Amino acid sequence: MNASLAQRLADAVGPENVKTAPEDLAVYSFDAYSEGKLPAAVVIPSGTREVSAVVKIARELGEPVIARGAGTGLCGGAISVDGGGVVISFARMHRLLELDTANRRARVQPGLVNLQLSQQVASSRLFYAPDPASQRSSTIGGNIATNAGGPHCLSYGTTVNHVLALEVVDENGDVFTTDVDDAGYDLTAVLVGSEGTLGVVTSAWVRLLRSPESTRVWLAAFADIESASAAVSAIIGAGIIPTALEMMDAVIVKAVEAAFHAGYPTDAAAVLLIENAGFEDEMDAYEAALREITRKEGSLSWRAARTAAERDALWAGRKGAVGALGRVAPNYYTQDVTVPRSVLPKALRAVEVAASENDLVVGNVFHAGDGNLHPLLVYDKRDRRQVGAVLSTGDAILRAAIELGGTISGEHGIGYEKREAMTRVYSTEDLATMARVRDVFDPR
Amino acid sequence: MTTSRETPASVGELCAILRRCDGDGTKVTVVGGNTLRGMGFPPTGEELVLETSALKRIVSYSSADLTVAVQGGCTLKSLASRLKRDGQFVPFDAPKPGEATVGGTLAAGWLGPRRHRYGRPRDLIVGSSIVLADGTLAHAGGMVVKNVAGYDMSRLYVGSFGTLGVLVQANLKTIPLAQAARAFLAPLPEGTRSRAFAQVRTLAVEPSAALWIDGFEKEVPGEPGAEGRLFILLESSEALLERATRDLRSAIGRAGVPETRIIDARARDMLDGIIDAYISTLADRSVTYRVASPPDRSEACALGARDLVRRFALDADTIADIMNGDVVVRASRLETRDLSLKLQVLDDALHQAQPRARIIAGDHPSRGAFNVWGNDPPAIGRMRALKARFDPNAVLNPNRFIGGI
Repeated sequence: MNASLAQRLADAVGPENVKTAPEDLAVYSFDAYSEGKLPAAVVIPSGTREVSAVVKIARELGEPVIARGAGTGLCGGAISVDGGGVVISFARMHRLLELDTANRRARVQPGLVNLQLSQQVASSRLFYAPDPASQRSSTIGGNIATNAGGPHCLSYGTTVNHVLALEVVDENGDVFTTDVDDAGYDLTAVLVGSEGTLGVVTSAWVRLLRSPESTRVWLAAFADIESASAAVSAIIGAGIIPTALEMMDAVIVKAVEAAFHAGYPTDAAAVLLIENAGFEDEMDAYEAALREITRKEGSLSWRAARTAAERDALWAGRKGAVGALGRVAPNYYTQDVTVPRSVLPKALRAVEVAASENDLVVGNVFHAGDGNLHPLLVYDKRDRRQVGAVLSTGDAILRAAIELGGTISGEHGIGYEKREAMTRVYSTEDLATMARVRDVFDPR
Repeated sequence: MTTSRETPASVGELCAILRRCDGDGTKVTVVGGNTLRGMGFPPTGEELVLETSALKRIVSYSSADLTVAVQGGCTLKSLASRLKRDGQFVPFDAPKPGEATVGGTLAAGWLGPRRHRYGRPRDLIVGSSIVLADGTLAHAGGMVVKNVAGYDMSRLYVGSFGTLGVLVQANLKTIPLAQAARAFLAPLPEGTRSRAFAQVRTLAVEPSAALWIDGFEKEVPGEPGAEGRLFILLESSEALLERATRDLRSAIGRAGVPETRIIDARARDMLDGIIDAYISTLADRSVTYRVASPPDRSEACALGARDLVRRFALDADTIADIMNGDVVVRASRLETRDLSLKLQVLDDALHQAQPRARIIAGDHPSRGAFNVWGNDPPAIGRMRALKARFDPNAVLNPNRFIGGI
């Protein structure tokens, strides 16, 4: 540990906001999936000026800077991979700074928890649309870094569609701002999803949407994955874009029922959770159309949540699905790939083959409407064979997604976990073009 | 200096042309449908006009996937007709769709009146192929709607005015057309405008477009009111249309507007006609500005801009986008004496009030001396650095973009 680094950071943000003891650093060395090494220090600045000071100090002393929200990431984007570096935690920068209800926008600090933003604007009948599964703990800053998605992206779009302006600390510790209404290059678009590699976001204007007048949730059960996938295509093909269209397979449904008693049919091979938000006037027509489409595709049953409590119960199953797998095995690995919707059945079959070839159990719970798969491989990490099997299955799934015209990450990010896989979807020229952007923002 | 033209028939040919130009420093102006030629600084010293019009294929379209891959030179109209057959569209909302190209519209960063509902063009692009200044062909994104692999290069190219590369293919999200569309046109009597703006903004079923039109009488048919006209486009399911209509009529009634004409047939075409007016010019006797403002300030912004134009003894035609907040104002005068001077003074005064005002149309010869992009944004240094990194020899559309890029 570099004493002068610790001292200078303490001078900048106060000694109580700098952590250098190994036992304090340990919690910052992993995210929701990956385990990295200990950073040199963790600082918890109170505002933009302190972030700027911290970046300047780190730069002078040659330490990389790693911005970190809640650490719920799944790709190792917010951890120190090689050890060392200064982690900036936004735990103290968590405020809603301005709420402009007339123009439906809010200025927030990066440490504000996603769900808390929606809760804080709810009395104005507004909400923040991107809703990653981690929304109870993940932060807006982390969501911006990864261009986070969520079940409701199907109709509302991902984080990049909801960020209007940014305040950013650059590699030299200088502050600059971007705004989607500025003339010139759309720097906001490049910064969102750049996983902290182009600068550190210190505040953001985000769009808010009006709370819907009416919301309905339905559950359709199917005898096999193919007919459930066909129903997804048929719904989209009929010009219906529900606000969410999620699929869960038998492994997930059984685990969810055991854990939550959400009322999912355990004899089904796949269920579709469908939500539509809009106006009461059109809901019956929507429901009739959806029901007819799913019936034609061979659904076994159809259930409509009639009350808010029933709606919440159906969603609780979906949102708790990953946790519920804890009943099946002690560990799980989530892959994240996107394929064109029309090849969902093929992609799911490839997932199944890859898992069974490696003798692993796989559960599928995913954003079917977007073609965004999240195969969950359950395993026990104390078993070396299983760990190896997970890696090779994860890799086979990546390969299948690419062959089917898809991509290696739909919403979780690249981080260090998928860095090598970038060359499988992009040519040397493609990557060199991205590197030109990096050169401009972070020439060192 | 002579200017030559090239219309490459393939992406490979286009790459070869740019490689050659980058090598010998030939300055290239990239042209799509040339409909937005009133944007940006006029080309100076161009040596090669590169037309994308031969690259006009729809490369792949899968309506079930809600994605389409289209070459940059495809016109908006031919893309729209193909998508319409499957009940879908891409909401470009750009003028003159029969001539405007996908690549040109994206490069110009055109913003249409339905974007509050369907997103900006930058929100619809999921992948791209671009030919960089040195002739390198680079791809980004893909054909899937959710993708976080790598920097979002495709969005960076949208609005880059062809200064980073030539967009030869765009992969776009498509959107199902709403079942029903209905347009409303109402002349606003004295004393109703402010209430009309406020009422429209409170509608539960939000209009797809809500525009206040003052002037543009040749371009937009219909009776003008004492305080201009209100145009509304509703798009919804059949089941919702009646309620949306009822709500809208009573809201407009509360604003004191007695008459509203309802147009069901070709309601969307009517919007297209108004969008054409955004860039309609009086040849070299007009300049049209676009000013961004928050939606709740759109009326004040529109009146401010209009009155400023009139203060310099110029005619003003104005459109305010009530949902998105931006304002378009055309300053013109049939009498050309002193016109240059008047427009120059207006340009200064307008930017004092609205630093981000930019010019979107008008062939006035002194346009090049105006502040056509508005004042430089805070990140201009970084933008210059990007340009230098992408096009070190300043071959692509040189000096036409903001800050001398």
